[in-house]
Amino acid sequence: MSRWVERAALPVGVVATIATLAVVFYYPVGSVFAQAVLDAGRPTTGPLVAILSDPFYTGVAHHLFVDPLGIPAGVFEWITSGFPSVALGRFGFTAYQAALSTIASVVLGLPGAYVLARYDFWGRRTLKSLTIVPFVLPSIMVAVGFLAMFGRTGLLNDLLGMVGLGPIELVFTLKIIVLAHAFYNAPLVTRLVTTAWESVDRRQVESARAMGASPLAAFRDVVLPAILPSLLTAALLTFVFTFMSFPIVLALGGLEHATVEVWIYARVQSLDLGEAATLATLETVISLALMYLYLRYEARQRSTAGAGQSLPRKSLTVGWRTLRSPVRLAIAGYGIVAAIVFVGPLLSLLIESVTAPDGSLTTAYYEFLLAQQASSAVGTTRPLPAIVNSLVYGAGTLVLAVPMGIVVAIVATRGGRGSRLAEALLTAPLAVSGIIVGLGLLQTMVFGTVLFGYRLTAAGPIAIIFAHAAAAYPFVTRNVAPALGGLDSRYRDAARSLGATRLRALLEIELPLIAAAVLAGAAFAFAISVGEFDSTVLLAEGVDGYTMPVALERYVGNRSLGPNLGPATAMGTVLLAITSLSFVAIDRLGGRWEP
Amino acid sequence: MDRRSFIKTAGAGSVIVLAGCAATPTDDGGTTRAPRATIEGTPSGTLTVATYSSFTGEGTAGNYLKSAFESAYPSVTVEFTVPNSGVNKYIQAKQSNSPIDADLYVGLNTDDLVRADRKLDTSLFMHSREYLDRKDAIKSDLEIDPRGRAIPYDTGYISLVYDESEVTQPQTFDDLLDSEYEGDLLAQDARFSDPGLAFLLWTIDAKGEDGYLDYWSALADNNVRIFDDWEPAYNAYSNEEAPIVVSYSTDQVYAHRFGSDMARHQVGFLNDQGYENPETMARFSDTNSPALARLFMDFALQPEQQEEIAKLNVQFPAVTDAALSDELAQYAYEPPESVTFTYDDLEGSVDTWTEDWAREVVGN
Repeated sequence: MSRWVERAALPVGVVATIATLAVVFYYPVGSVFAQAVLDAGRPTTGPLVAILSDPFYTGVAHHLFVDPLGIPAGVFEWITSGFPSVALGRFGFTAYQAALSTIASVVLGLPGAYVLARYDFWGRRTLKSLTIVPFVLPSIMVAVGFLAMFGRTGLLNDLLGMVGLGPIELVFTLKIIVLAHAFYNAPLVTRLVTTAWESVDRRQVESARAMGASPLAAFRDVVLPAILPSLLTAALLTFVFTFMSFPIVLALGGLEHATVEVWIYARVQSLDLGEAATLATLETVISLALMYLYLRYEARQRSTAGAGQSLPRKSLTVGWRTLRSPVRLAIAGYGIVAAIVFVGPLLSLLIESVTAPDGSLTTAYYEFLLAQQASSAVGTTRPLPAIVNSLVYGAGTLVLAVPMGIVVAIVATRGGRGSRLAEALLTAPLAVSGIIVGLGLLQTMVFGTVLFGYRLTAAGPIAIIFAHAAAAYPFVTRNVAPALGGLDSRYRDAARSLGATRLRALLEIELPLIAAAVLAGAAFAFAISVGEFDSTVLLAEGVDGYTMPVALERYVGNRSLGPNLGPATAMGTVLLAITSLSFVAIDRLGGRWEP
Repeated sequence: MDRRSFIKTAGAGSVIVLAGCAATPTDDGGTTRAPRATIEGTPSGTLTVATYSSFTGEGTAGNYLKSAFESAYPSVTVEFTVPNSGVNKYIQAKQSNSPIDADLYVGLNTDDLVRADRKLDTSLFMHSREYLDRKDAIKSDLEIDPRGRAIPYDTGYISLVYDESEVTQPQTFDDLLDSEYEGDLLAQDARFSDPGLAFLLWTIDAKGEDGYLDYWSALADNNVRIFDDWEPAYNAYSNEEAPIVVSYSTDQVYAHRFGSDMARHQVGFLNDQGYENPETMARFSDTNSPALARLFMDFALQPEQQEEIAKLNVQFPAVTDAALSDELAQYAYEPPESVTFTYDDLEGSVDTWTEDWAREVVGN
């Protein structure tokens, strides 16, 4: 590589990233959001004010926009009448359930990170690779798995019944929504924190201990600061995702637990796009504001993670003594809970895929998949092309999103005025509802944009990969940025002073040191691509470019085996198997670059 | 050039550049009608049918129609396109002056037609009824479109499906408010689901525009459960989460085919009624093959095809002279009286009704 190329690489990467985002994200989404703030080309605040002052959406907060001067009197009246419960409105309820879901995800995910980072046991690496499997499961399958596991006649109640307990009623409550959100997002917490925990330099902990710090103090002063950015990142992402949750909320909790996103979907369905755009704008502003506040906080945290060895792992089982170790018993307890919450629904889904409506064992749903594959009828959705397409898009996304994510992480961690604001804005793909992105892509890319008298349209595999990369790269950034920010800058400075270009220092010194974070980001990028539905289904129209979730969705509506979700559960099981293998492969192949 | 392969090749390069933007003048589909399009000589060419995904593929009505039509007219090819957002895609395409890549839409509901007209200045669909050879065979109560664009090709009834080993059959809407049925009813969101909307309209018919919200408030107090769509609701019913679900009166056809326990597949009409939901087809105003599309519609309305469509879609025929298959005759139920809202009933009201309904249920 000539030095000129090396020097140009990073700036070119930044420009290419921004150009990609402009085409497949900012312009499409901007064209939708414009409908919220423009009325026949003129800026207006009308739609925004209409929503903010509607108690249905903003609850008690609508007074802020209707009658701000009356608030002190209102508060006084509220106090004198003995603090009655206040109306939250849809935004309030949505934030409330997202906060509960975040807490549940952290509570369920953090112990997992501790076990994976600090203990050694058979299958640990594979388990680590598999943690994010729930992430790719379409929500209708989560609903099937959850009903079969936690329903009135579900597996859990069967098990409780055997030991004379229960039954517990979870379906149609807020609890099951929170639990389903934790099922999706606790793995995020586990994976992000495990990566950070593993990169804690053992020498720092050992010197702290040598200088007389208790294990607890060493944890507080060395380990905690190193894992906190990842933990908070994961919590923030969980909040943002569950804030925008839709089908799972209605499929498990019913309409009375509707989130703002349900109303956005309804507005899109009735083509009242102005109001959909207004609601989505508010949703995104809230998410991005949180993101920005967090990133400012993260920028002030400068712990220096090191380039040393990670902490030695303890053995999880120590023979009979395992039973006398309180920590290990607690881990066993956690293992049972994790098995119920994570393995339970997945296993139930698997069982559903081989169970006929009358409860007998059947292979009909897998035979259905084979028959679809063998059919020559037009319009038949075949499983094999769906698998291949998913893998191709996933691999393409990974190849594109990893450099994009690293480039943005470098910009974000360089510091300087506005770099965190820039990252918050560049992270926007996480904070915009999928249906809005889909709508934007439809308006700009599928229908085309007229430029100089030509209608430019884009669809097909390449467009899908770019759209997926835009959605996926923030995960790479959010994995890499905390690691890169925590890296001792002296390594880079030393390399630079010895004459290495910025790119060479990055490729040969910094990235190998944070390989685990890059790898986690890559796995997430792949997961996002495999699970993506809204833009895929739009851009794949007209070409046989459907993916596994799209095929699954079509099997949901297929009645050739009667009104049941059997064929879809079989496809869901295939999806789980293929993505599990992929995650293991990504970690094994990528693991070669880990120091 | 074959359109499909064109899209495929160009799609692989990621950017298709089309010269200019399409601006074909269209008829308004209403007051002034385009003249009847005719075919000189043997029908030929490609007919692109836009539809929902379960209409095409192995063993579906769509595929049957394609084969039958292509053997009747060997120079014709029928292709399907399956837009995920249904007819909305074409409404939006027309709004942005983007070309419409289909000749005919199959699977249109009354509320879809109302929405298309509300959103567009010129009609998305053209008139067909008066030009059809089979127009007089269509069951008159299924003709939902006063402008003769949407033509019914089959119909079905929304009803309750219940488990008679768990509950006795509710006879009226008021029965469902009884504490006996507390937490027993599974329904769907009227904004996302066809049976959900049908059930809501049915309650509006029964309780009146002034009374339906109070009724739903009481139903919510009795713990009705509203899902986003029919599939998750029916799945919950199959999982025995509750013993009654809003579904179709053809439920036992499947139960019979797959040997399920009939006790769990009882069809219940309320007030001796069912809500009738005809499925219709319509020609796009922008089609370049109006005559071929009309030929296809007439073909689909032939008694033989009607019988087959009904069998494969598990619905009732839309014409008076089609026979019902033995299976449907035995296991699909028609209510003594049917309720349906016409285009005129829904126009200007349906969005307000669904929004008020959703707020009532959530606020409860």
